[in-house]
Formats: sequence, structure tokens, C-alpha cells
Amino acid sequence: MLRAALPLLWLPLAGAGATEEPTQEPGSPGEPPPGLALFRWQWHEVEAPYLVALWILVASLAKIVFHLSRKVTSLVPESCLLILLGLVLGGIVLAVAKKAEYQLEPGTFFLFLLPPIVLDSGYFMPSRLFFDNLGAILTYAVVGTLWNAFTTGAALWGLQQAGLVAPRVQAGLLDFLLFGSLISAVDPVAVLAVFEEVHVNETLFIIVFGESLLNDAVTVVLYKVCNSFVEMGSANVQATDYLKGVASLFVVSLGGAAVGLVFAFLLALTTRFTKRVRIIEPLLVFLLAYAAYLTAEMASLSAILAVTMCGLGCKKYVEANISHKSRTAVKYTMKTLASCAETIIFMLLGISAVDSSKWAWDSGLVLGTLFFILFFRALGVVLQTWVLNQFRLVPLDKIDQVVMSYGGLRGAVAFALVILLDRTKIPAKDYFVATTIVVVFFTVIVQGLTIKPLVKWLKVKRSEHHKPTLNQELHEHTFDHILAAVEDVVGHHGYHYWRDRWEQFDKKYLSQLLMRRSAYRIRDQIWDVYYRLNIRDAISFVDQGGHVLSSTGLTLPSMPSRNSVAETSVTNLLRESGSGACLDLQVIDTVRSGRDREDAVMHHLLCGGLYKPRYRYKASCSRHFISEDAQERQDKEVFQQNMKRRLESFKPTKHNICFTKSKPRPRKAGRKKKDGMANTEATNGKPPRDLGFQDTAAVILTVESEEEEDSDSSETEKEDDEGIIFVARATSEVLQEGKVSGSLEVCPSPRIIPPSPTCAEKELPWKSGQGDLAVYVSSETTKIVPVDMQTGWNQSISSLESLASPPCTQAPPMTRLPPRSLVTEEPQAPLNLPSDLRPSFAFPTSLAKAGRSHSESSADIPQQQELQPLMGHEDHTHLSPGTANSHWCIQFNRGGRL
Amino acid sequence: MGATHSASEEVRELEGKTGFSSDQIEQLHRRFKHLSGDQPTIRNLRKGPSGLADEINFEDFLTIMSYFRPIDTTMDEERVQLCRKEKLRFLFHMYDSDSDGRITLEEYRNVVEELLSGNPHIEKESARSIADGAMMEAASVCVGRMEPDQVYEGITFDDFLKIWQGIDIETKMHVRFLNMETIALCH
Repeated sequence: MLRAALPLLWLPLAGAGATEEPTQEPGSPGEPPPGLALFRWQWHEVEAPYLVALWILVASLAKIVFHLSRKVTSLVPESCLLILLGLVLGGIVLAVAKKAEYQLEPGTFFLFLLPPIVLDSGYFMPSRLFFDNLGAILTYAVVGTLWNAFTTGAALWGLQQAGLVAPRVQAGLLDFLLFGSLISAVDPVAVLAVFEEVHVNETLFIIVFGESLLNDAVTVVLYKVCNSFVEMGSANVQATDYLKGVASLFVVSLGGAAVGLVFAFLLALTTRFTKRVRIIEPLLVFLLAYAAYLTAEMASLSAILAVTMCGLGCKKYVEANISHKSRTAVKYTMKTLASCAETIIFMLLGISAVDSSKWAWDSGLVLGTLFFILFFRALGVVLQTWVLNQFRLVPLDKIDQVVMSYGGLRGAVAFALVILLDRTKIPAKDYFVATTIVVVFFTVIVQGLTIKPLVKWLKVKRSEHHKPTLNQELHEHTFDHILAAVEDVVGHHGYHYWRDRWEQFDKKYLSQLLMRRSAYRIRDQIWDVYYRLNIRDAISFVDQGGHVLSSTGLTLPSMPSRNSVAETSVTNLLRESGSGACLDLQVIDTVRSGRDREDAVMHHLLCGGLYKPRYRYKASCSRHFISEDAQERQDKEVFQQNMKRRLESFKPTKHNICFTKSKPRPRKAGRKKKDGMANTEATNGKPPRDLGFQDTAAVILTVESEEEEDSDSSETEKEDDEGIIFVARATSEVLQEGKVSGSLEVCPSPRIIPPSPTCAEKELPWKSGQGDLAVYVSSETTKIVPVDMQTGWNQSISSLESLASPPCTQAPPMTRLPPRSLVTEEPQAPLNLPSDLRPSFAFPTSLAKAGRSHSESSADIPQQQELQPLMGHEDHTHLSPGTANSHWCIQFNRGGRL
Repeated sequence: MGATHSASEEVRELEGKTGFSSDQIEQLHRRFKHLSGDQPTIRNLRKGPSGLADEINFEDFLTIMSYFRPIDTTMDEERVQLCRKEKLRFLFHMYDSDSDGRITLEEYRNVVEELLSGNPHIEKESARSIADGAMMEAASVCVGRMEPDQVYEGITFDDFLKIWQGIDIETKMHVRFLNMETIALCH
């Protein structure tokens, strides 16, 4: 805080110096023109912008200082801190300059500081939520504000009549009503500042916040009407004036909204044509929104309403039209401006309060006002909620009402309005100023400080921040349609019906008019979410997969950066698998050659990539268990570690393993097949992406030798009667095996280095022999399965025999590992593969349950294409071990934790 | 089936079953008669896949509509959860067209395709890939987080519940059933 105050100390001094200079200059006209000055001090020329810049700098520095301590900011809202800072700064300025230099100028406030905040809140307003609760918001904003203004004003007047307010406060009923109108409005800046940190549930937030935005129209009207009444003198006010006052309410609010919508339309339309001048897109947004504000202000309409509507209305189209970068620019600039303005407002509020020449204290008035605004706010909320709840399907409960009453913060708007009062017309202005300052400070500081504990204490439903998932988006959409349909069936054309109609209209006309053709084409909310998720995947992929690519040659450097991947958290999995899903976004066609090439590329990448995960894994292990230097030792250790984990995971989840391993696969395989189909447009990013996907999985894959798999499968076999499931799994494990060997080939691992042919041989069977494989599939569905099952069965049994009991599994695989893996490298490998491939085809159809997935994935594809899908399927069973293994990873982690 | 005053017992019975008030039942019956053309049942004119009822009578109609009743404020947490589950089950069946307890990929795709059919510019394939992505996501969410013996061939009802976790369905899935005559205006 001190640091922030330092530049300010200098400010008034510089300002004082600046004021002296001009007096000197005119005093020396007779002197000969001075020669070329080496150094000239021109403070007064830059004074104004310099001061503004300094203020902003001070505010920003203050913000940084506040946020150095997380503890403080979590307890105290920033707005409180800023006000306190302002008080301190104001005190310093006052002490140095002997007079209050700076304060919140209403002009500056309304023209420069308020618009960014309102634009920000309007633009980023969750529109769906807003319109869902529009009725409640409007009620609170209009009725609530009117109620607050009149009751507070009248009550204060009553207080004065009762003699509780000192007689030196010269004010009539109208003055008090005027004061009531300006003090009654809930302030958007204060509400936003406090509520953003409280995280109450969305509905509550949108109601309070929406109210604070929309009540501006009412406040403006009331203020203006009362002000002019006061100026006219109560004797001259006629009945028509009251009517005019009521009418102006509609004019101001609807007019403001209309201005906002017109500008929103213009803005959307303009951004449609900025394709070649992307750079001005962000500027346009700000310019037109500001123009809306100024226009409304000019026509003495509700400027806040105008900007809110502008932001609310244009967002959808603007976001669709402008480029991605512009979108980011708009977002950041808007947030920056808003937060900057907010900071300055609160700081200036604090500074302004120091200026004691402006205000006069009257305890009765201050305490009375404080009590009345709290009391009538609460009363108003309760009454309105009671009425609203008669109509609301989801009633607002008592806790909501408490928070709403308590969240009625007053702020800078009230202060600016009270400063604007004319002292000659309203003799009690100074008292009003003092009262307003106290009220603002009380609400922002006391209520702001206590609302968080209150919310916690009352157990108000908090908002959960979760990223939008594709499923939820889909479901919500379906849901909207269902609701609209049901409303139609019931015959009551309610909210959903009209929203549906609006969406139709929007789709048919507005969007076509306001959106770029290219943007309109893909404009759909679901698509949006999908797209966003994809972008996120892509980014996360670049974050992780990028390393994979760069480090295919050199294994070690990538270790630390990819530790995170080794965790194989669910989110990671999701992301990775999601990135698999997003690949098929582009085009679907199945050119075999392209796919082959891609597969080859992918395979090589996999070969290159598969080795590293072990290192990664090792790294994460080594933190706890082993030193990293000795490589051979490490390998051994990792292996043992893995075995241990595996065994641990066995104990709690014997059954589970078998299920997760076998059953999810059909699903994923089916999915992956789709991807593969779509993948033909082989972009560069794609194979690596899959690699990334594979990578997480590979954490264990490399370390697991086929022995483990066998032991594992024997386990499952023991546990489960479903031999088929086992077969399906086992085969793909065998595939893995092959892959492991392939991977080893590329990587300079200290372990066995298999000959490169393995890779090629592996590729060949299912690249060239597609037709055969397809045949397998069709025939296998009926006959071959059992046979394959038996081979798989025998294999596993042979391994099973060596294992006495599950706990003992550790020993046999360890001992048996070397011979087996050697076997795989040698000629056996190619032989193994085809034979084992067959069951992998079979399992989807043969499995009673898993068969579903197969049918579902292939049923929608025309018969002739069946070969291809199945090929894809096959192909991806080759890949699918990754998916399967990713489940393994979870298992292991879990087991490890257990 | 008449929900007139003479058949008040029947109405009362329906009230008990569906939770509608007698006024609402009357309104809905009027609406029902309007939709069915004064027949006792509404026939399913569209040739849908098997498994769909050919016709529904008023009681069925009411039962369906009762899923969209707003929840009672006086309900305790347990009943709300139950209500939520019921509502979700209804939704689940809308996806699960062959009602085998699973939303398979194909079923999901159909839903998504229909959902996106309003936009002519989104091709079927992209709709599909969206469905695929969603399915993938569902798989990751459900299998990943649950105890691993979750069979994943389609979204089961449990998974469905999981997916909907973040959404307060009980506060959203409702339609206003008017008690007043205004319903007639909408015909």
C-alpha cells in the first residue's frame, strides 16, 4: 500500500509546481526570447493525461499489492481494500496539499468510468440465464427500486417530522424523495465487485446483478423527475407532471433498450464485413458500444440499459463474425478496461470521502437512512418474492431472499448522483452527501465483508464451475426441444414455446442477415461446444504431444515436462480420448492408400513414442523410490514397481479389472473406428495426436511384458466365467506385445532390441490382407469364435498353470519374462499376430453384450462398406490397447494409492 | 375417461396418480380432446420404430405430462432426489429408443442428428462425430470415475445420471400447467 502511495505523494507536489509555472510565464514578456533550452519542464502540457495515467498505474499497483496475499483477498473483497486505500491516499493528499485535490467527478464517472463496466457485464452476461429470469429481474429492478425510493424517502421525511433529524437539515418531502431515489438503487459496480467473489448460485447472482443493471432506468427517471420537481418547487407541480413522470419511465427505459438494440444490430452488421480488416474488429465493438452509451446519454435515456442491451444483443453475432484473435482481444480489453474502471471508481470513492468541506454530518439522518435502506430493501424483497413465487415454478426460498436483501449494495452511482445535486436548490445537499458516503461505505465495506461468511453460514447453494461438456450441452438442447414440445402439447404457449419461436426466427432471418455466411454455416451451440472442446484438446495436445514429437529422437529430455501425463488422471484421459474424437471432425472418406500411409506414419510414431512413457513413469516413481542415474537399475525397478502396483490393484479389484479391460474396449474400438474413417484427411497433427493418446496409455504398456498380460488374463479367467471376454482382451494384449517390440526397435533402450522387420510384418498382415480379415470377421461371427477362444484359452491356461495363486503371480512372470519377450522378437511374432487377430475381430459379435457395440457401430453403415468399417475396427483394435490400457493406468494408480 | 364433474371419482383417482389438481386435469382433458378430435385415444400417426405405443389414452397422456410437473417446494431432499430421478428416467427413455436400458451410440447419433437437423449446413457426418465425441466423453466420465466394473457399451441410466449431475433438472424440467381458462386462448 505504501508503495502504491508513493507516486501519489509526488502528484500534488508536481501539481502545485505546475500551477506556479504559468504565473511566471506571462510575467516575462519583455525579456528577450530565450535561447534554445537544453531542458525544458513542460508539466502543464501533459498534466491531465499524465495524471490519469498515474492514477491508473496507482490503482493497478494497488491491485497487484493486494493480490500478493491470497489470504487477504480471500477474506476482504477488493472493493473494500480499494476504498480503504482511497481513504488513505485521500488523507495523504489532504495532509500534503491542505485541500482535497481529487475526487470522483460525476462527469468522468458517467462518461468514462461507468461504460466499460456496464459493457463488460452486458457483453459477458449469460444471456440464457438472464432471459430465463427476466421476469424476476424486471420486477426487482422496477418495482423494487420504486418501492425503495418512495418508502425510504417518505420514511426519512417522517423521521424529520418526528424531530429525529436535526432541524438544520432543511429538506421537504420532495427533497427526501429525491434523496431516496438516488440512494435506493442497487449499484451494478458494487454488486459485481462483491458477488463475483462470493460465487453464489447462478440464479441468485443473475437476479441481483440483473436488477442492479436494469434499475438504472428507474433510478435515472426518478432522479430526474424528483430533481425537476424540486427545482420547480412542489407548489408548481401539476397532475400532468406526475403523468409525464410515469410516462418518462417507459420512454427512458424502453428508449434506452431500443438504442442499445439498434447499436447492437449495427455492430453485428458491421462486423460481418470486416473479413479483410480483422484488425479493427475489437475496436468496432468498443466504439459502437460506446456510441450506444453516448447516444442514450445524449437523449437522456438510460445509458446503462443501452449498453447492457447492446452487449447482450450483439454478442452472439459478433462472436461468430470476428476472428478468434479478435475475440480474445475483445475479451481481454473489455475485462481490462472494466477492472481498471472499477478499481479507479472505488479508489476515488475513498479519496472523495476525505473531503470534509463537501459534507455535513447529521447522525439522525445517517442512522435513519442506513436503517431504512436495509429495512425496506429486506421488506421489499420479501414482498416481491412472495408475489413472484406465486408465478415462479422454482420459487426463491428464504435463504435466497436473505442474500438478495443483504446484497443490495449501493455504490458509486449514488455518490455521483448526489454530487450532481444543485446546492442552491437543495439546501440539504451536504447532509445528503455525507449520508450517501456513509451508506456506500457501509454497504460496500461492512456488507461486502460479511456477505461471504453469511453465504457460507446460510449454506447458500454455490455455483459449481464446471467446464461445459458435450454431453450436457447435447442434453440441454434436447431438453429445450422437449420442453417446447410439451408446452405445445399441453396447449399453453409459455416461455419455452416463445423461446423456441425466437430461435427459429433468429435462425431463419437474423442470423442470416447478421452473420457471415461462413460463420452462419457452422453456427450452432452444440457445434460450438464441440469446437471449443476440440480447441482445448488441441491446445492441451500441443502442450503435451508437442513434447512427444520433439523428443522422439531423444528420450530423456522430455521426462520432466511429461510427468504430468504419467498421472493419467481422468481429465487427462478425457482430454486425450477427446482429442481422438476430434480428429474425425473434418471429412469422412475412406481412401485406402491414404489410410495406409497414415497408419504407417502412426505406427512409426508409436514405435518412436512408446518407449518414453516408461521413462516418464519412472521419473514419477523415482521421486519416491529410486535414484535416476542408473538406467539399467531403473528399468528393473520400474518393472518391479509396476508388478507391485499391479498386484496391489488386483487385490481390491479382481473382477473389475476383467471388466474394464475387456468391455470398454468394444465401445472405444467402435469409436475409434469412426475416427479412423474420418481421419483420411491426414493432417500432420493427427498421427501425433493419436500418439499422445497412446502415450498416456503407454505408461504401463512398455513395462508390461506379455507375461504379465498372461498372468493377468489367467487371473481374469479364474475370476470370470466369460472366456470370450478374456479372449478379446488377450488378443489385443498380444497386439500390444507386438507393438512393444516395435517400439523397442526404435528406441535405444537397454532392453532387448528386436529387429525392425517386426514392425513391417506387423503392418503387412492387416494392411495387405484386408480382404482376408474381413472374411474372417463375417465367418467368425458364427463359427470361428470358439476355436479362437480355445487357442486363447490354451495359451492362457499354459501361463495359468505356472501360477499357483493370484498373490504368487509376481514371481512367475518375473522369471519367465526374458524368454517370452525374446520369443516375440523372433519369427514367432508374425505367426502370433494373425492367429491372435482373429479373436479380436470376433469379440464384438460373439460377446453377448459387447456384440451390441459392434452392431451399433456397423449397423448404420451400408452393407457394402462393411468391410471397411471392420477394417477400421481391426485397425483400431490395434490402436485400442491404448484405450484399454488407459483404463489400466487408472487401475494401477488407484491400486497404488490403495 | 371424462374429467367432468360427474366423474369426479375418476378425476380423484387421476389426481392421486399424477399429482395434478382437478382443475388441471380438466384443462388437460380439454386439451386432450382437442388433440384427439374427441376420440378417447390419440393415435400415433407416424410410423415409428417398433416399441412405440400405437395410441395413448387420457391416463397415459396425464402420466406423461406429470413428468413435467414442477417439484413441490415442500418436498424434502429425498423426495426431490426421487423426483429428479423420475424425470431423468423419462428423459433417458426418450434417448433409449429400443428401451433396453442403454443409450447406444446409434441411438445417440439419431438424437444428435435430429437435434442438428434444423441447421442445414451441418452435415450428417459432423453430427455423427459430435455424437461420437459425446459418447467418448460419456465413456471417459463414467468409466473413468466409477468403480471399474462399469460395462461400457452405451450410456446406462446410472451413467445418464452422472452426466446430468451438473444440471439441476428438478428445477428446469417443468412446464406451467395453468389452472385457469386461459388455456383455451392458446388453441
